[in-house]
This record gives sequence, structure tokens and C-alpha cells, in this order.
Amino acid sequence: MADKKVSITREYLKGLWDENPVLRSLLGLCPVLAVTNSAINGLAMGLATTFVLLTSSIIISLVRKVIPHQVRIASFIVIIATFVTVADRFLAAYFPPISKDLGPYVPLIVVNCIILGRQEAFSSRNSLGRSILDSSGMGTGFILVLILLGGFREIFGSGTFFGMTVLGEWFDPWMVMILPPGAFLGLGLFIGLTNWINAWRAKA
Amino acid sequence: MKLILIFISAAVVNNFVLSYFLGICPFVGVSKKISSAVSMGMAVTFVMTIAAVVTWLIYHLILVPASLEILEYVSFILVIASLVQLVEMFVRKISKPLYDALGIYLPLITTNCAILGLALFAVLRDYAFIESLVFGVGAGAGFTLAITIMAGIREQLELAKVPKSFEGAGITMIVAAALALAFMGFAGLISV
Amino acid sequence: MSTTAKMIIVLTVITIFSGGILSTWDGVTKPKIEAYKLQELKKAIAEVLPKYDEYEEIHIDGLTLYIGKKTTDTTQTVGIALEAVGNGFQGKISIMLGLFPDFSEISGIKILEQIETPGLGTKIVEDPSNKEDPYWFSNQFKQLKTEPQIEVIKNVKPSKPAEIQAITGATISSKAVVTILNNHIQLAKKNYLSNSKSQIQ
Repeated sequence: MADKKVSITREYLKGLWDENPVLRSLLGLCPVLAVTNSAINGLAMGLATTFVLLTSSIIISLVRKVIPHQVRIASFIVIIATFVTVADRFLAAYFPPISKDLGPYVPLIVVNCIILGRQEAFSSRNSLGRSILDSSGMGTGFILVLILLGGFREIFGSGTFFGMTVLGEWFDPWMVMILPPGAFLGLGLFIGLTNWINAWRAKA
Repeated sequence: MKLILIFISAAVVNNFVLSYFLGICPFVGVSKKISSAVSMGMAVTFVMTIAAVVTWLIYHLILVPASLEILEYVSFILVIASLVQLVEMFVRKISKPLYDALGIYLPLITTNCAILGLALFAVLRDYAFIESLVFGVGAGAGFTLAITIMAGIREQLELAKVPKSFEGAGITMIVAAALALAFMGFAGLISV
Repeated sequence: MSTTAKMIIVLTVITIFSGGILSTWDGVTKPKIEAYKLQELKKAIAEVLPKYDEYEEIHIDGLTLYIGKKTTDTTQTVGIALEAVGNGFQGKISIMLGLFPDFSEISGIKILEQIETPGLGTKIVEDPSNKEDPYWFSNQFKQLKTEPQIEVIKNVKPSKPAEIQAITGATISSKAVVTILNNHIQLAKKNYLSNSKSQIQ
């Protein structure tokens, strides 16, 4: 049932840290690892995912009272897959180089646990307004992690941030950071850091 | 010969988990014990092979002739979700012991990006029917390999002092980094 | 209304809604995507062939050749381009290959797609460590003789007309490019010449 005790701002902010979908709930890890070899790729993937999350949340929240319980998952999946196709085709038509970089990971947004998870846990049970806030918050939290991890890997792996050179000629890039091991390493460090910060806050 | 190359490429050189980051959720969640890792791996391989075949048929026999390629994602995910349901019912009917071993992992496979990823890659690379089938088996084998190795390492890690913040997902990712680095050594195994 | 009827109606409505959105969007995006692909193809052909007024696309035995022609005064073939694909070190390498009409010399190559090792194999596209000429690897192929076949040598400058120098630390990627080119030069030569023979002048 709708959580009336949660304030409007909380509904949005919780996605950024306390219930960050990647670092706390460990959802949607596949794209996080795959497209964070640069900050711009992370941002593009984050926006695409948030687009799908928002649009499907809006539709599902609007029709939540009409969908019979037994077919809800199938309905969610069709709706989500439809908007993922829209996003994928949009990138291919209007931003071909980014579409090429992100490759097959855009269609994989369909199985991004964050989206199905939010529909099942929230949008199908809450009002349109709250669902929009929840999805926006989760999406923002997701984008933040993607940009931070993408930036981290890009700076150490290429010496650039969003394409602009940050570390000069003296720096010999750590190629491994933009390769798979660097992805796992970066994410592992981020998760560990998040847990450590939360433990430290709990003690304080 | 090409089939062998596809199999080795999918299983080892371009391992689905360690090179393409597919199937990370079960990789982190079900790699605590070797026995459950192997069971999950077998369930995934089983579903992957069937999914590779069915999605190939749907794409090449229905979508392409009717110029409906835009329905690729919607149809694939529906097929995979139904497939998992059917496989679960089928396994429960024909073999109780097999169901006891694999059964609980099957519903988790629906949102496993590895299955959808497999179907999408097979289309992207324009594989023929048999090639898609071998690709599915190879990818499943690679997944099983990665998750089993991870489980073996994590069982040993139980005895080590892991920093509290890194317990669980954190240390799994760091170990995965080492594994990914090791698997990168396979590059060039099947070159010109 | 019974639950089953409700289920069917809801699913049908959702399917129609989905189908509607997607078919409309398909109509909007498909032409743009096709146009972009064509634009990229034209750019690649122009980069590898000598100057031409127009090109003709012909298909022989599963191979697609792009014949570059000058059309002022008389029609004259200035070069033949084709897409050469093969295995590299990490994955497939796709190259646009431009040849002079007698197939004995390359007019130019352009690496279209590759997923070689970043910083090593990727030097076949661009080598940032070479300040004067980052594209030195593919530039080697301009006006390179092709007979009897292209050879790769390491660490020294090429001395023979059909030789190119491999990238230090990326021998396999370099050799892969050469193997792909050699194979396709033979294939294109065979197909094109047999096709011309069957067209009585």
C-alpha cells in the first residue's frame, strides 16, 4: 500500500543513497560494468535506462488497478520491452556513434532488475505522482553511479574525463581500467566504500 | 571447425561473465557454494541452449520475413520468460531428482541478462541455426566455468579475514577482477 | 467480468498499444538509420579509392564490389573497393579495401570495425605514440604492391614493394590485417575478372 508517511522529497532522495539501486540493492550490475569504460557512455546508458524506467512507471502506475494479478509480470515485461526498443532505435537514429559504443547493452535494459523491481515493488502499488518521484530518484542514483564509475575508469584508463584530457603526458594510462578487470575492480571498490561509509555513519 | 571456434570463444576467450558482464546477478548471488554454483550453471546452460534455438527460429522464420525486426526485444523476452516457466514444469514432471537439484534456480533465470544477451548476440553475428545452438552450449559452459571457479574461491574465502565493508558483493567483485584478468590470457587462442 | 476475460482483454490492449508505438517509431527511425549506414559506406569508399565521379555496386558470388568510375568524356574504372572481414586477435576486423583496377596495387585501406587490445592492437587504427603520423599503419598500404602477396616484417623499415612493418607489440593484429587483405585481394581479383570476361566488350 502507498506509504503515506514517506515525504515527497524522501520519495525522490532515497534512490540517491539509502536505497541506491546499484550500490545498496546490487541491481542492474551488468550495464554498470559494461558501459562504464568512459563517463559519456555511462551517462548515455543512465539516461536511456531512466527514460525506460520513467515511461514504464508512468504507464504501469496509471493502469495498476486494471491489470489482473496473474498477468502483471507479463504486462510489465511487454511495456518495458516496448520502451527499450524506442530508446534503442532513438539512439541508433539520432546518436549513431553512442549507439555503437553502447551496443547490445541498450536492449539488455529489458532485463535490468532495477526496472522490473521498481514496477513490482512500487509503481504497481502507488499513485502516479509518487511513482514518478520514486523512478526519478532511482534513475538519478543509477546515473550518478554510472558517471562516477565511468569517470573513475576513464581517468585512470585513458587520462581523460568526458573526453577532455585531465592527466597530462606524464601519466601512462592504466589500460586495465577500461578492460573487464578494471570494471570489476572499480565496482568492488565502490561497493566496499559505500558499505564502509554507512557503517561509519551508523557509529557516529 | 567454425563450430569448435564458436564454442571455445563463447566458453573461454570471450566468457559471458568475465568479458561481457552477463549473468552477474546469479554470479554474485549463487556462487557461495560449489554445489549450488554447478546446479545453477547446468540450469542456465539448459535454458540457454533451448532459448538460442527458439529465438533463432522466431527471428529468422517469423520476424525477418514479415519485416517485423522492431519486435525483436519484445518477442525475445516474452519467449524467454515463457520458456523458463515451461522448462520448470517439464523438469518437475519428468524427473523429481533433477527438479530438486535445479528447480529453485529456474525462475531466477528469466531476468538473467545472459539469456537475452545470448539471443541478441546470435542475431547480431548472423549465426546460422547450428551455430546458434553451439553458441548457446558454449556460453552456458563458460558461465558454469566462471561461477564454479568463483564458488571454489569463495568457499576458501570463508576462512579468510575479509574487511567487513567488502564482505559479500565487494570481495566477489575484486575476485572477479582477478579472474577476468586471468581469462584475458586466452585472447589470441583462436586467431588467424 | 470473469478474470480470464479480463486477463485476455488487458493483454490484448497492451499488445495493441505496444504494436502501435513500435510500428510508428519504426517508420520514423528506419529511414534515418539506413541513411546513416549509406553515408558511412560512401565515406569509407571515398577514403580508399582514387578520385571518382560515381561508384557502381555489383554483386558476384556473394561478394559485393564497389567500382569507382570517372564519367567525364569516357567512362573509366579508377578503382575497386570491397569490405574485407576476418578474424583478428580479439575478434572480427572489418576493413574497407581499395584496389587499382589491375589488382596489383592497393589505393588505400580503412579499418571499419575492430575490438583489438586497447593501446596495442588498436594502433592499427590510430597510434597516438607516433606524433607525426598517428595513422602510419594504414597509410603504409597506400600504393602498396600486392604481388605475389603482402608480407609483414618486424622492427625494420620495409625494403620490398609488397612489405609492411608490423606494430611493435601487436604483431598478431598486424598479421591478421595482412592475411585478411591478401585473401580478399585474391577473391576480388578472381570474381571481378571472371565477371568482366562474361561481359562481352
